[in-house]
Amino acid sequence: MAGDRKEDEMIYGLTMDERDALQQGLRRLPETPPPRVVWDRIRAQAEAEGLIKRSLTRRPSTWYAMGLAAAVALAVFVAPGLLRSPEPAFPTIPPVATVAAQTPQESLRALQVESRQIESDLRALPDDPRVMRASTAATIHELEERIAAIDYQLNEPGAQLSPDNEEIFWRERVRLMKTLFRLRYAQAQRTAF
Amino acid sequence: MPDMSKFADIKIDPAIVKRAARGDARAHEIIYRAFATPVYSICLRFTRVPAQAEDLVQETFIEIMRSIAKFRGEAALGSWIRRIAVTKSLMYLRSAWTARSQSLAEDWGEYTAGDAATHGVSAHPDDALDLDSALANLPSVSRTVVWLHDVEGFTHKEIAQFMGKSESFSKSQLSRAYQRLRPMLQLEHEQTASDAELMRSC
Repeated sequence: MAGDRKEDEMIYGLTMDERDALQQGLRRLPETPPPRVVWDRIRAQAEAEGLIKRSLTRRPSTWYAMGLAAAVALAVFVAPGLLRSPEPAFPTIPPVATVAAQTPQESLRALQVESRQIESDLRALPDDPRVMRASTAATIHELEERIAAIDYQLNEPGAQLSPDNEEIFWRERVRLMKTLFRLRYAQAQRTAF
Repeated sequence: MPDMSKFADIKIDPAIVKRAARGDARAHEIIYRAFATPVYSICLRFTRVPAQAEDLVQETFIEIMRSIAKFRGEAALGSWIRRIAVTKSLMYLRSAWTARSQSLAEDWGEYTAGDAATHGVSAHPDDALDLDSALANLPSVSRTVVWLHDVEGFTHKEIAQFMGKSESFSKSQLSRAYQRLRPMLQLEHEQTASDAELMRSC
């Protein structure tokens, strides 16, 4: 063993202490993260080559599309009946002041502004931590899928949503975005401490 | 030598790996977020050119996506990813050398003792750059060997296999690199002694 050390010192021209110091110095050198755009490039190439399932911000899963279609049907056929009913079976708590003060167009615009604001807040949060619990990752993934499915419906040229249905979708989008923000914020807090 | 690489510290839930093997984009993104920094760092250490390092990161993660279904978990995910990143980086370096019609040995030949003032660390401690710069100023082959051996913990045999060279080639590259980095050690030692002296006098 001592012979090996001596031989190493002869070969490398450094004592073992000097080598240890050098190795520790090298391992302490800072790491550099890649620019954010690198992941976008990787994802685009992977999608083009069919290596990953296409991002759901562009193509929602069939289940979510079907779920949303059901939601639309519910809104179109059931909701009008409920609204006509003198005593709704499950009273909701609408934001009375805003509903009374806003036209449907204003209400829709308000939801779109709120949605953009939450998106901006989400972007301001730090990146996902290196290690995340699988359950948290799955929940985030599910929320993102549901948001993506809504985006798909809202952006689908052939969908021709009525203003009421469009508002339902936007309201649901805002709700999901808020939930996603709360989850990501809590995750960021845990990582920071 | 124990695996002291930063790759070894990163743990990914096996469920995420399984999802990635099925082509789940979100799972791949989680893996990318976990390993992007060490992969980019190693690529940047070897190439020194950010744009090339970015391309190598892209190639590395695309290769991960292509091959992860074959990953059996016999080694740690980090070790597997590191090996892909190292292979991609060395392929790039080899192609660059080929483009310049130079062999690995010739690359070392660019760097002689007389070139120290322009290429590397001056023998005079006062002129020495910090360790990061000193490493960056080593010829690419020596820098790569130092990093693979001293930071990533690869053996000379493994390095020789990566580079298609002999073990003695790897050892001689390391030895020559140490000669260039040695002034840095003296400087650090003097700095540490000076700091200690300052602390005692306070």
